[in-house]
Amino acid sequence: MVLELKNLRKTYPGTVAVTDLSVRFEGGKVHAIVGKNGSGKSTAIKMVAGAVMPDRGSISLDDRPLHLGSTFDAIHQGIATVYQELSLFPDLSVAENICFHELPHRGVRVDWAATRRRALDVLRELDLEVDPDTRVDSLSVGWQQLVEISKAINHDLKVLILDEPTSALSKDEVDQLFRVVRRIRDRGVIVLYISHRLQELPAIADTVTVLRDGDLVGRRTMTETTLAQIVSMMFGDVEHVRMTPTIPEQAEVALEVRNLTRKPWFEDISFSLRAGEILGIAGMLGSGRTELLRSIFGADSFDSGTVLVSGKPIRRPTPARLKLYGLAYTPENRKTQGLIQIQTVQENLTLAGKQSLSRRGVRNRTLERAAAMQQVNDLSIKISSLDTVVETLSGGNQQKVVVGNWLNDHPRVVLFDEPSRGIDVDAKQQIFRIIWRLSDDGIASIIVSTELEELLEVCHRILVLRDGTLQQEIVPGTVSVEALYNACIGVAQ
Amino acid sequence: MKRPRLEQYLMELILLALCVVFALTAPGFMRTRNLLNVMRNVALQGMIAFSMTAVIISGEIDLSVGSAVAFAGVIMAWLTQWFTSFGLPLAVGIPIAVILTLVASSVVGWTIAYMRNAFSVPTFITSLAYLTMLSGFANLITGGFPITSFPRWFNTLGGGSFLSVPVPALFLIVVFAAFEFIMNHTSFGRSIYAVGGNAEAARLNGINVKRVKYVLLSLTGCLAGVTGILVASQIMAGTPTVGRGWELQIISAVIIGGASLAGGAGRIRGTLIGIFFLGVIINGMTLLNISQYWQLVVRGALILIAILINNLRGLTGATRT
Repeated sequence: MVLELKNLRKTYPGTVAVTDLSVRFEGGKVHAIVGKNGSGKSTAIKMVAGAVMPDRGSISLDDRPLHLGSTFDAIHQGIATVYQELSLFPDLSVAENICFHELPHRGVRVDWAATRRRALDVLRELDLEVDPDTRVDSLSVGWQQLVEISKAINHDLKVLILDEPTSALSKDEVDQLFRVVRRIRDRGVIVLYISHRLQELPAIADTVTVLRDGDLVGRRTMTETTLAQIVSMMFGDVEHVRMTPTIPEQAEVALEVRNLTRKPWFEDISFSLRAGEILGIAGMLGSGRTELLRSIFGADSFDSGTVLVSGKPIRRPTPARLKLYGLAYTPENRKTQGLIQIQTVQENLTLAGKQSLSRRGVRNRTLERAAAMQQVNDLSIKISSLDTVVETLSGGNQQKVVVGNWLNDHPRVVLFDEPSRGIDVDAKQQIFRIIWRLSDDGIASIIVSTELEELLEVCHRILVLRDGTLQQEIVPGTVSVEALYNACIGVAQ
Repeated sequence: MKRPRLEQYLMELILLALCVVFALTAPGFMRTRNLLNVMRNVALQGMIAFSMTAVIISGEIDLSVGSAVAFAGVIMAWLTQWFTSFGLPLAVGIPIAVILTLVASSVVGWTIAYMRNAFSVPTFITSLAYLTMLSGFANLITGGFPITSFPRWFNTLGGGSFLSVPVPALFLIVVFAAFEFIMNHTSFGRSIYAVGGNAEAARLNGINVKRVKYVLLSLTGCLAGVTGILVASQIMAGTPTVGRGWELQIISAVIIGGASLAGGAGRIRGTLIGIFFLGVIINGMTLLNISQYWQLVVRGALILIAILINNLRGLTGATRT
């Protein structure tokens, strides 16, 4: 069995996601597909899964062209996809979930005995020991992932796509997942495997396909290559222009973190940050980076350790208290955590700073409007009016509203969690310029990001976080992206 | 700036049209005494409705208010009786009874927020339980019979008038003005809208979400207490049967006024229109000798019609998810 992609191209308004992709995947092998963010690997996979239509090009299975008008089409052609977000019914049993697409019937009634039998067959085939009557929500995430895969097996499976299957799994669960994937592979199925965790590839992948900027960079047999080679294929040769302003030597310490621990996310984290300094925290998904930032801001509790702002330890930290101490936090997910979608741009721009825009609790609308207008101008937020509902703005503009909202509170330290996620190149550059300008004004920043090139471009200093502990400190300009990436995934050069 | 448009005042215009229709058809509708009567009738539920609007905007609900009114009236009457039995003069006993009743009512509201904040029990559940429990307590305290412990002058509070305006209507005006001010002109009001719009975003913006809930639910309890005292004063007794079904009438008024049950959207002014809508319709139909049963049908239909109208003018998020 051979899955062949020929001259696939996909463009989105403003960007080319996949330029001209031709590649063959043979059956009975696990094909890893890797590339940094924006390399086009997600788009390529979505075209195979029927979730995205290519602009041109073709996808064929054994020289038979496939017409994938929807994910439904793909499923019926034997192409199953298991996404990071699971699509199980938590209140139903394992058996019902596995047979969900075609529950066996006897007359109009569901044949529960047959449902159970069929599920048991699938589970046995994959060597999974779980009672088919168990409710899915009583299983661990790892087991749920396995149930999701079992559900895919139920069809006449030809292609199995696994999108970041291990990101939420523990070590043992990963091993079990790999055993199941190998069993499926050995049935002759074409397995496409997408993962950020390169260090897992030697254990599971037979081939590695590397994409960069929408193009195929190359394909290697796993046993004939090294992770270092793969990383260098992913990043290519790029020069970085750094515009980071210098910070005065004598700048005082704005924020200090001492032995902060929150198991199982992170452990014994200590660092300090001077006024005007821009500190990057680099780490892969699951390294504990977001959890660390949230704990510093008091959004999540932690087990032990201390956060000190301007030398003062914060007792019983909450976001409300840290705000009073001059901290600001722009969350990873602006839609669900940063903005109040049903409110206007002006309201969203003046929420964090509402105390300073009122006197003894009474609002001053003139001040509010002026403060909102200033951020709109300073950050060049594109809106037709301050009364526009924020829900209607583009990702980049929404991100600027989140940032502007906090600038109106005049913070001394800003914590940015993935500030450039899902926004276009121009907006990214503008966000960086804002961070540099804050630095000039003596405002310190911490940036958490998966975009390692960006950290190298923006920061004074980068801390590498891996499996919840700080591994090393890196000064941009002295190391390459590859070296930073290797540090993040724990591969020696 | 927003330009005022006709459709934004649609509910107000419909209410006006309704008044004109009743003025022409219902005998005595336009008489001052009748209009003051309407005010007295809407005032009692109205005060609670304003507070309920704030609660609903914050994304919570309080179903216990009807029983809380009965509970407060009964406590008030029972305390008065008890103080009198000690020989305490009524002029001293009644003010103390008022204060204690309001404190008790506020504490009841506070515990609804406590269950929400400390144990994540939805306010819908706790207040539903209280709806039954408070009614039970009111009956236990009175033994099922009214307690008539009040002196004649106590009737002024609920039954009297000041410059020919019914006293409860004065209360209504003060509470309305207070809530208008809180919701539109204070930093706390912004917190309420933010918490209902997106509680997690509000928390990450440094808003004390739990405090917002404590304050609003305590305030609602307190206002149910005030209303309970006014009702007791009006009927000169503490009776466990008053306030039955009020919670749904009050929530109806809030919805007619355009607030979203999903939280985050709503106006105090809208609720004012909502309570007058219900008050005028009941009054007009009664004057027209329309059957009680038809009144129920019309009142129910009104809720649906109001939602459709509010959606039409795109003001609310009553159907927003």
